[in-house]
Amino acid sequence: MTIPWDKMAIGAAALLCAPLLGALLQGLDRKLTARIQGRQGPPVVQPFYDFFKLLGKEQLLLNRMQVLYAWLHLAFMAITLMLLVLGQDSLMLLFVLAFSTLSLVLGGMCVRSPYSRIGSQREILLMVAYEPVLILMVVGFYLVNHSFSIACVWQADQPLLLRLPLLFLALLAVAAIKLQKSPFDLATSHHAHQEIIKGITIEYSGPALAVLELAHFYETALVMVLLALFWATNWWIGAGIALGAYLLLVIVDNACARLTTAWMFKFMWTVILGLALTNIVWLYLSK
Amino acid sequence: MNPILLWLLVPGPILFGLLALFCPGWRSRGTVAWLAGLTTAAAGIVLAGSWGNALTYELPAVLGPVSIILELAVMVWIVGIAWKIRSTSVAIPGLLQLGFGVATVVLARQGGGHEAAPGKLLADPLAMLLVLVISIIGSLIVIYAIGYMRNHDAHAPATAASNNRFFFVLIAFLGLMNGLVLCDDLRWLAIFWECTTLCSFFLIGHDGTPEACNNAKRALLLNTWGGVAMAGAGCWLAYRGQAETLTQVMAGGLLLPVALLSFAALVKSAQMPFQSWLLGAMVAPTPVSALLHSSTMVKAGSYLVLRLVPAFGPTQLAAVLAIAGGFTFAVTSAIAISQSNAKKVLAYSTIANLGLIVACAGLNTPLAYAAALMLLVFHAVSKSVLFLAVGAIEQGIGSRHIEDMSGILRKMPLTASFAALGMVSMMMPPFGMLAAKWMAIESAVNSPLVLMLIIIGSALTVFFWSKWIGRITTISYHPSYAIEKLRLTMLAGMAVITVGVLLSGGCCMWFYKAACRPMAEAVFSADLIQSQWTLLESASQTVLWPIFAVVLVLLFALLGPFNRLRKEQVRLPFMCGENVTDARFTFEFRSLKDLPETAQVTSYYFSPILGELAISSWANPVAALILATLFGVLA
Repeated sequence: MTIPWDKMAIGAAALLCAPLLGALLQGLDRKLTARIQGRQGPPVVQPFYDFFKLLGKEQLLLNRMQVLYAWLHLAFMAITLMLLVLGQDSLMLLFVLAFSTLSLVLGGMCVRSPYSRIGSQREILLMVAYEPVLILMVVGFYLVNHSFSIACVWQADQPLLLRLPLLFLALLAVAAIKLQKSPFDLATSHHAHQEIIKGITIEYSGPALAVLELAHFYETALVMVLLALFWATNWWIGAGIALGAYLLLVIVDNACARLTTAWMFKFMWTVILGLALTNIVWLYLSK
Repeated sequence: MNPILLWLLVPGPILFGLLALFCPGWRSRGTVAWLAGLTTAAAGIVLAGSWGNALTYELPAVLGPVSIILELAVMVWIVGIAWKIRSTSVAIPGLLQLGFGVATVVLARQGGGHEAAPGKLLADPLAMLLVLVISIIGSLIVIYAIGYMRNHDAHAPATAASNNRFFFVLIAFLGLMNGLVLCDDLRWLAIFWECTTLCSFFLIGHDGTPEACNNAKRALLLNTWGGVAMAGAGCWLAYRGQAETLTQVMAGGLLLPVALLSFAALVKSAQMPFQSWLLGAMVAPTPVSALLHSSTMVKAGSYLVLRLVPAFGPTQLAAVLAIAGGFTFAVTSAIAISQSNAKKVLAYSTIANLGLIVACAGLNTPLAYAAALMLLVFHAVSKSVLFLAVGAIEQGIGSRHIEDMSGILRKMPLTASFAALGMVSMMMPPFGMLAAKWMAIESAVNSPLVLMLIIIGSALTVFFWSKWIGRITTISYHPSYAIEKLRLTMLAGMAVITVGVLLSGGCCMWFYKAACRPMAEAVFSADLIQSQWTLLESASQTVLWPIFAVVLVLLFALLGPFNRLRKEQVRLPFMCGENVTDARFTFEFRSLKDLPETAQVTSYYFSPILGELAISSWANPVAALILATLFGVLA
């Protein structure tokens, strides 16, 4: 067996660059949010400062399981990103991503803290709400490219967005959930001002919290690449679409109130799932 | 096929069971159960050793008339039980079945020729796979049962039947199941089919409480209706003058027997609207649930559906079957969310996964068939360890409610780890169940409705498993842990199956490549395989073990930080700064009037929307309509 050096190089580059990208985007988010709210805001590199400060703190915990789950969350988020840039099976990618999120959920659930338990359960609900949309997105990929492999998406000669416009809209809602943006920031949010305080991550601190922050950098980058996939024929346009979508989500985040879980679930399983399904039905009919 | 092997697999366990019937005490009973388990498992492994070439064995001629007598005797026995428990509702299907049985004999005699054919045994890869599952997992459950029943004895109700009868039925069950998957003749199939029904009737009713008797009766009632369908299939074949063998059903092109046999299979694998018998089965001692849910009984249904796949062809029958299975998968996964009783959650999850197997069989493509095989095997492994662990937990903490299981990781670290691992293996990569679900979704991509049902079901599955794992791994800081004391047999049963679970994580794609894919390619036509070639191939090339490696490396890397954690680093959860901070280190907070109150959060259940009654009130009629369509498309 020959070692695929080129693939390993791509993987290593993604592993190094993705957290930088994710952190910068989060810095941008904080700056933009501050400006919308009439504040000066922190510098764009603030997420890096926060991350290294957390690493230097003493580790305080409630039990031993917490650290394990935090690391599992990070490891599987990084693996998901690798699967994506290396063009592996898109459905398996979703399952690994789900494993990563579940580790986060279990990390919040393994302590006897009311706030983090409620946050965890809300996170599962969010997962159940968006998972069908993501799987339908993958089905959409298959119907367009006749393959589940993401490598085929990279090599497609026509942008996916033209065939999957409604699925892209549905994916925006999923991206809002994954990036913890209002009106979907039910389980935890960037701002510790909700009724369950910091929710799922409230019992994490110091280095363990830094691990979770790093995982979220990866997650942000992952969502960006997923959005950019819809125009994979030209990287500049793809990146532009992803960045535009990100800025849109930040603005929506500031313009919207957080809504209830019941509302979220109904919205996701009617409007958003409906959008995705309509797009799939189009594809079946136009085959 | 070696007759000694057959003796060990089919009559062997039954004879060991008879031996158990005359055991004076636990020492001899335990010995018999160990012997039965070990020989059956060994024979199963030896049989699977000749993988790849289908073995046949012509039964001696004397068994021809014997089989007719046996079949009628079993049917009469069921009517007799109906008489004994004074149940008209059981008597009706019992008599119907007997009528079909007699009619079959008469019709075959008129048709001339093969009425007393002794039949043959057929060990092809599908049968061998089933024999492996039955004889290995079933045997481990029997061994576990030795310890469990000794504990159970202490608090069993006075009405409970004797342990001798229990072990007789439990051990004989394995032989009957082996017979069921090995025979090709419909008459033998019906005999074993009815006998497994009777076994579950006796095992479910073991405790003799009114609830147990009632649930046993329901199991007998529903499964006898399945038996009626099977007897009807035999009768129709005899009427059309065809040989009553599964091979004939496959080759004959008659769709009515196929539909009837599928119906029987759906009843046996507790598909909606027949799920109630399997849910009622949880009143039995836990080894019974483990046996019924993982390696025997319900798997007979899955086996039959998979056996019939070549007979479906491109018919509407298969499409309806796929929808019926997918519907059960989605709906029972939803109900499982609303359940707080651990055994009920497991039961609904079993029904859901059997639904997925039926859906895969109905999808009728090579990849779906391979997925169904993987589901069948890996579900048996994971579900058996889950039931055994829940049984041990129930005996340990005196409750089977999920909400009572927090802190179990400290009280029973070993059992809790087995259970947590079992749950993880039901839904997370890189374990076999997830790989199978992945293939199921990929192969359903051309059947939109089934695809949607499977997607919704998978999403809901995540919910109930993760909230349960979260409950089990909830733990507060303790400087050290003590391993709980379990009976050796219980520990042995659980530990060996847990090794199997780990193997299913490490080798599931190898299993696909080595067993499932060749079996699927043997069943389907060349052009169907060609049309799915890319999907089959991309599944072959998938490697999942790196995921496993990452988890293992992380676990070992974290052992250091785990042990370094000192008491001074441990904090109480955040309670808005109102924690009761005293030497006791509790989870109390200061409430009104400064009174201490313990903080508790229970899980989401959504009972008003997802409760059993709320859902089955509309889902059972819908499922019945889908089943009616099964026969409608024949016209």
